[in-house]
Amino acid sequence: MRRGFPWARHAVLVLVSAVMLLPFYWVLKTAITDENIYAYPPRLTPLDPHLFNFVDVWYLIPFPRYLLNSVIVSALAVAGNVVLNALAGYALTRHFPAKRLVLLLLLSCMLIPFQATIIPAYLISARLGVLNTHLGLALPLLSTIVCIFIYKASFEAVPKSLIDAARIDGLSEWRIIATVLLPLSKPAIATNVILAFIWSWNSFMWPLIITRDAEMQTLPLGLARFLSYLEDTTGALYAFVVMVLLPGILVFLMAQKEFIRGLTSGATKG
Amino acid sequence: MSASWLRSRWVVVPGAILASTLAWNVYVAAHATGVIEGRVVDRSGRPVEGAIVTLFNRSFITNDPRQRTMTGPEGRFRFDGNDSHAVQLEAEVAGHRSERMTVRLWFRAQERRLETPLVLAGR
Amino acid sequence: MAGKVGWYGRKRTRELALIVCFLLPSLAIFLLYRMIPLGWNVVLSFQSWSPMRPARWVGFEHYEEMFLWDDVFWQAFWNTLIWIGAAPVAIVLALGIALLVNSDLKGASVYRTIVFLSYPLMTVAVGIIWRWMYDERGGFFNWVLRSTGVIEQPLGFLASFDMALPAVIVTDIWQVIGFYMIVLLTGLQSIPQHLYEAARIDGAPARARFFRITLPMLRPSLFLCAVIGLLNSFTSFDLVYIMTNGGPGHATELLITYIYKAGFGQTKFDYAAAITVVQFSLLLVLTVLANWAAGGNAGAVERD
Repeated sequence: MRRGFPWARHAVLVLVSAVMLLPFYWVLKTAITDENIYAYPPRLTPLDPHLFNFVDVWYLIPFPRYLLNSVIVSALAVAGNVVLNALAGYALTRHFPAKRLVLLLLLSCMLIPFQATIIPAYLISARLGVLNTHLGLALPLLSTIVCIFIYKASFEAVPKSLIDAARIDGLSEWRIIATVLLPLSKPAIATNVILAFIWSWNSFMWPLIITRDAEMQTLPLGLARFLSYLEDTTGALYAFVVMVLLPGILVFLMAQKEFIRGLTSGATKG
Repeated sequence: MSASWLRSRWVVVPGAILASTLAWNVYVAAHATGVIEGRVVDRSGRPVEGAIVTLFNRSFITNDPRQRTMTGPEGRFRFDGNDSHAVQLEAEVAGHRSERMTVRLWFRAQERRLETPLVLAGR
Repeated sequence: MAGKVGWYGRKRTRELALIVCFLLPSLAIFLLYRMIPLGWNVVLSFQSWSPMRPARWVGFEHYEEMFLWDDVFWQAFWNTLIWIGAAPVAIVLALGIALLVNSDLKGASVYRTIVFLSYPLMTVAVGIIWRWMYDERGGFFNWVLRSTGVIEQPLGFLASFDMALPAVIVTDIWQVIGFYMIVLLTGLQSIPQHLYEAARIDGAPARARFFRITLPMLRPSLFLCAVIGLLNSFTSFDLVYIMTNGGPGHATELLITYIYKAGFGQTKFDYAAAITVVQFSLLLVLTVLANWAAGGNAGAVERD
């Protein structure tokens, strides 16, 4: 819509991009060098770059254990979101009494940040006996309202005649979801997978509260613990940071479109 | 057309990650023998026989001595059963010590033949 | 005939049962982890309770203590307001970037990706990265300021009472600005082009087009950004915990970090619940205010 000064606009955007990327460069540079990080001035380019800091992280702290915990919790959250949200999303496309009430309930729940409920959520988890378990870590993340609405919108876009035809053929509701609706809702599934993964992978406050043993800690907790041990004295800390960030960056770059669409469509619904 | 799902990035990327993890583990299993071999020489480059070589395990803060061995003919030494991923080596003969050499490995117990020898500078 | 109605009725009941079964798991989770906790928070805030003692009603005792005697609460309260107050700055910056990216500019999608990249990252890791950026010796900022001669002595940004809060806020803006940009970009792309065409024909200058068309049409997106900014004061726990843990002193204490410390540091769950109620009320009031400022009805634009 506005043409003119493309070079000026490029210049500003390159500057903005540089500001956004600089912290990544700074941490990557530190992760691959053995420079004395208390030396001043810091070197701008890595001196003798190597990858052994990553090996250190793998062996000197229980990195594989943290990774396993994170993967289990994320897998539970992704599975829960993909299945439970699809069921709930489908139910919301049907007519039933008190549907407006349920919708209202869901929309108002969306305004409650999870962090605002941690004290009772902790006490409830204690009553349920799921403190310090993988299930307890994943339970609040198993279903997301935003993602239910993403499924609902996707199911509603499927032609009614297709569903009616399937029903006349005598397919059960389960079969209709599995064989008619889900194959036509691949973008919605992808969005669910990505959002659930990113949210569970990054989640910190909840695991911080409900895990007691080092054995149950996830990667963000391991990172925080590592930080308190070492107080930025080693390149290994930054290697750890890079290792933790990589899966998130990879998933984001692979599915940027679905991720952005999910966030904005869910957000505008709220 | 029938195999187009194979080319989806959701298959290719996890597949590539899985395949490289598998290949890496096979490589590690084949090379995790815990053998470290090297040589000790004096300042002028002649091999030193009968020098005592110590293997230290490196952790974040400390280096603990783990194994000792004596160099044989041509100054060669060999450690078996190293189970660390970062070690230091030091040679000593008649009160003279070499500088500590840090050897960082890609995985625990990686077998390694050192190209550069330990130099006993005092002799 | 009657048999047919019965059959239909049975089918209807079965369908209803199925719908309930489909909804139940999700609703149970929201009930357990959103609705019940919200109510329990309010109840707990009027009780004296700890895991070892039975609950006892104490009325407004916690609120009295909080409002009248607790200096840390007030500091956390004002810090939270400052934190929320920084959101408009980020939104304006994001709007600038969104306007630059929203055009037929070549490579716009690359810029968009780069600006958005920081948003989906683990906040704990982001906090550690920025601690390192602010570091006294190896940090980037000290290096720039010292090598350009602005300062002589190294500055400990995160250890300084005056600079710790702004420093953490800058980090927060760096992380969420991409999200604001995406929301605004979606809003910009939904503005019908013919409005601009008409304005151009009428000879309206660019400034007028921006203030008369773009800004009013962006109201829903701006409102959404404001809500995200408000919620952000809750979700910033990770960042503050990692970067300063509320310190130095309580210079960067937010209500949410204070809730955590009161609840899980000093096991004063009842008191922490009272603070939670205050913060949630603050959130509601500010949301209503933002809605009012956006012209009501969640800033929805009447479109024909």
